[in-house]
Amino acid sequence: MNFKSIIPIKEVSIKELFSFKMSFSNVTMAMITLGLVALFTAGAITYFIEGHHAYNVTREHPWGLIIGMYVFFVVSSTGLCIMSSIGHVFGVKEFEIIGKRAILGAILTICTGFLVIALEIGHPVRMVIYNILTPGFTSAIWWMGTLYGLYLCFIIFEFIFLIRNDHKWSKIFGLGGLLVGIAAHSNLGAVFGFLIARPIANGVFFPIYFILSAMITGSYLLFLMYGFRYKMNFPKEVEDMLVKLAKILGLLLAILMFFEIWRMLTSIYGGVPGRAEIAKHILMSPNFLVGEVLLGMLIPFIIILVSKGKNIKGLVWASILGMVGIFFMRYDLVHDTQLMPLQLLKIREYQLPPSLVEYFPSFAEIAISIGGIGVCLLVYYFAEKFFNLDYDK
Amino acid sequence: MARYAMALDYKNCINCKACETACKEENGVLLGAQNHRIWVGTKEIEGEFPLLNISSSNFLPSQCQQCSNAPCQEVCPTNATYYDEHGVVRVDSDKCILCSYCMTACPYDARYVDDRTNTVDKCNFCSDTRIARGEITTACQATCPTKVRIFGDLDDPNSEISEVLRTREHFSLKSYLGTDPKLFYLT
Repeated sequence: MNFKSIIPIKEVSIKELFSFKMSFSNVTMAMITLGLVALFTAGAITYFIEGHHAYNVTREHPWGLIIGMYVFFVVSSTGLCIMSSIGHVFGVKEFEIIGKRAILGAILTICTGFLVIALEIGHPVRMVIYNILTPGFTSAIWWMGTLYGLYLCFIIFEFIFLIRNDHKWSKIFGLGGLLVGIAAHSNLGAVFGFLIARPIANGVFFPIYFILSAMITGSYLLFLMYGFRYKMNFPKEVEDMLVKLAKILGLLLAILMFFEIWRMLTSIYGGVPGRAEIAKHILMSPNFLVGEVLLGMLIPFIIILVSKGKNIKGLVWASILGMVGIFFMRYDLVHDTQLMPLQLLKIREYQLPPSLVEYFPSFAEIAISIGGIGVCLLVYYFAEKFFNLDYDK
Repeated sequence: MARYAMALDYKNCINCKACETACKEENGVLLGAQNHRIWVGTKEIEGEFPLLNISSSNFLPSQCQQCSNAPCQEVCPTNATYYDEHGVVRVDSDKCILCSYCMTACPYDARYVDDRTNTVDKCNFCSDTRIARGEITTACQATCPTKVRIFGDLDDPNSEISEVLRTREHFSLKSYLGTDPKLFYLT
């Protein structure tokens, strides 16, 4: 019994691995990917030379862009896992074609998320050791990390059985991955929701919102993956699936907007100190208005609404904007949580009294975070060479 | 076992920063604006010159509040933050993975990253220095010229801190969060 009899993998020569059709979109994608990988390498080297000082995180703002990007990647992963389960776990026929591609995407995005976070936390190896030796059961990070480890195992097995066309076992692992993934992802929301010191984040909102926004992210990514795979010339069954997906996405976006409106209203109403002023600040910030609302929700939603979900090409383009919006959602989530200064008084001479905490990511943080997308794209390119990701009837 | 706490007669504070200096010296805290286990907050004088409200001006020494229900301990994924036998919240730097969750969770901004170990550090009532040597005072208390700080055992009814908490009005910071701090501000 050899490796290939367990996991059906295509025979690819080195030459085939690096050759692709020289179309405009392929070459553009290749350039973007290589540029981003180079950026990631530069960021990682800066970090290895300078350590944590390469980042602009401070005592007042200990979590920076990289944490936001980690959330971005694992939201993508959970989203793809949830959306793929519509087909091969819950048995909705039209969605069965996305199984392999979506699960592979879920594996790659979560691995990139782990890679990015490994460059942020101070002692990743120690984390693995003491996560097992002295677990902190009251810690949302412990649950999130442990469940995500389990989730990754589940979806890897799910993928293996999918490419073996073993739909019985892929369904079992798919269900396991879905349940553990939802538990893990809501725990990631709880990492923020459990912060009693930060009234703007504290509460039940984030664990639920994370699941919802994950499904939206998964839908955007499916549009992007299929748009690129078929270069906008979709076969009939893919088009049918994408139209259905667009309708689901429209519903999800409507729920998200509803969520956000009530979140803002409850945050501002009553003027609770440390919550209301931050909520007002968020409402005025371009990151929220342009990034989250316009790019992340409104533009895709309007396209779906106007075309009744039939404008697939438009939605593929809007998904790029949507993913930029999702990025801002993650970044704002991390940044806005820490906006309120915890110091009550000024503690040094010649200092102004504490006001909203300021933070802007350093080069290393930007390079590692944005470059991480390139790493993900590169591995996706290789994976596409090795596995047959299209649906065989 | 003792249950250590500190009472701060903060209106006596003259902001001489001797406590900060003593703390850094005793515990080997590195220099730098971000690296401090304890600090003295300054409240600006209210009113416009020359009509200043002198009584509004005061100093508020602060540090880790040694919560009995510490958010930092609850959120630590590896149990690196723990309560020692004296009820002091401490960090085991061998277990700390620097995920910074405790820094985000602490409502008092009491934690910082120590560059020597690349882990999170904070006030531990001199547990691994003076208390470990058998002394019964902290560096900040021993050095304070105006006797702002009263350090002692809450479980000993005859200790000075028990006495002062029985006889004087006091409050703790952000008590509405339910963290139950063991730093008491005397009024």
